[in-house]
Amino acid sequence: MNKPPLLFRSSLLVAGVCLLRIAFPCTAGAAPGDTNAAVISATAPAPASPVLEHKLSGAELYSIHCNRCHPERYPTERTAAQWKTIMLHMQVRAGIPGEQSRRILKYLQENSGR
Amino acid sequence: MTGLLTAGSALWMATPARVQAEVSDADFKALQETVAKLADEVQSLRQTNQVVQQIHEQDQVQLQQLQQKLAETQQTANDAQQKAVAVATAQTQPLPRVPLDEATVNHNFMMLGDAEMQFVKPNQGNGSFYMADFAPIFLYRGGDNILFEAGFDTTLSNNNNPNTNPPNQGAGYTTTFNLSFAQLDYVMTDYMTFCAGYMLLPLGTYTERGAGWLNKLPDNPLPVDELIPGAGAGVQLRGGVPLGETGKIFNYSVYGVNGVSSSDTTGNAGSLDLNGNVGPNLHQDPAGGGRLGIFMPYKPHYDLELGISGMSGQWDNAGNHIWTAGVFDAALHLGSSIEAKGEYIHTQFGSDQGNVAQDGWWTQVGYKLAGLNLEFPGINNLELIGRFDSVHGGYNQTDNLYNYSTRRYTVGYVYYITSAFLFEGDYEFLHSNDPSQVNQLILQLSYGF
Repeated sequence: MNKPPLLFRSSLLVAGVCLLRIAFPCTAGAAPGDTNAAVISATAPAPASPVLEHKLSGAELYSIHCNRCHPERYPTERTAAQWKTIMLHMQVRAGIPGEQSRRILKYLQENSGR
Repeated sequence: MTGLLTAGSALWMATPARVQAEVSDADFKALQETVAKLADEVQSLRQTNQVVQQIHEQDQVQLQQLQQKLAETQQTANDAQQKAVAVATAQTQPLPRVPLDEATVNHNFMMLGDAEMQFVKPNQGNGSFYMADFAPIFLYRGGDNILFEAGFDTTLSNNNNPNTNPPNQGAGYTTTFNLSFAQLDYVMTDYMTFCAGYMLLPLGTYTERGAGWLNKLPDNPLPVDELIPGAGAGVQLRGGVPLGETGKIFNYSVYGVNGVSSSDTTGNAGSLDLNGNVGPNLHQDPAGGGRLGIFMPYKPHYDLELGISGMSGQWDNAGNHIWTAGVFDAALHLGSSIEAKGEYIHTQFGSDQGNVAQDGWWTQVGYKLAGLNLEFPGINNLELIGRFDSVHGGYNQTDNLYNYSTRRYTVGYVYYITSAFLFEGDYEFLHSNDPSQVNQLILQLSYGF
């Protein structure tokens, strides 16, 4: 079996360094990615949350389920009626239970664009 | 002049005695009374004049007030006239379109999808602007429970295929228009949806999450493309059941579809056709399959998803041979910066030449450099990707062994122009006994809408 190429192995090394950087952040209390990944994570609507031990809000469910497959989209990107259609699509595609889907939809419609 | 003055003075001095003699006391008193009356009348007239002056001034004030009121009335009249003209004008013209209150609209049609443009530079070939792809998804929602969704893939590509060795330098270009899926969904309960049509099959998760802007790399994992069907015509029950109130869910799906088939009706191993059986079923029995999965979020952006899925059914027209696939999938998110996912796929099928087993797996790790909390320009929009995938399969009639083996190491990146507009790139190192598989560089612009 051939060894992996040097560039691939180097990338793994870089990934390892990044993981160490995450495990031991320089700034105490700073949550990785919270300050400067607005474009990437598009998480403006989703508040940071501690460990999930409570009934989740629509914003939290939105953050949890969307991130399974893709970056979150801003609620203002769609109208209330469009979000209703999209959530029906996502309920089927991602297997989101109906009650959770309604909570997400309520959050999206309350913050939707007009 | 002096003469006249002198004459006048002399005349005045000559007459006084005669005048005093003509005015009596009675006359003088009468004259005094007359003067007094006149003085009283003058005083009365002055008082009357003052009253008249006051009345005049009051009249002036009232006049000004009336003039002001008149001006206001005229303005009101003008406004009313203008409104009347505007109303009359509006009544004579078609009414402007008033947006419907979307909250009350029970049906909705919209389009989602993605679009890509690729540049490919194979190790032994020319660089090409290889592909333009437009993949819309049309959604029609009828009420709260019914959704029709259809996805298309319109691809424009030149006939220079850099994936061949030597590269094919064909002329012209090719446009393809494919139906990726078209299905009717009926949400029966909060936990179950019935689907019918041409559906993306939940064999693993990649087939349902492989759009260009979701994949993060410009091409699909090898075993997904080569070992399992992407879609099938049939019916499906699927859904999710919550496990508590903290976001954990159990996912399931079970389906029956036409299944894989034979490209030439025979049971020859090389005739297996994964995606062609979409019309009348080419064999007697449909295939069946399903997926069980569990999604366990720890907190937002921290979650683990595991799944196991499978599918089995006849594949040759005579129904003598069975094709079976099993897939294990996993996905992990550690914060908003780290994502790891992968699948292991195993398939096997009987054939006229004997049993054929194929397998492959892929794993992909991504790290968004925003997690480093650095302030270099552009670095926070960059994600580094690494992928390893391999596939072993194909039937070797001589020794009944795999005759096809490819391993691929991929390093790549995603630059997020926006959260849905991606500039992707990767370099792929291929080790294969198939000479058409060569190292290549791929760049891709991808937009999800």
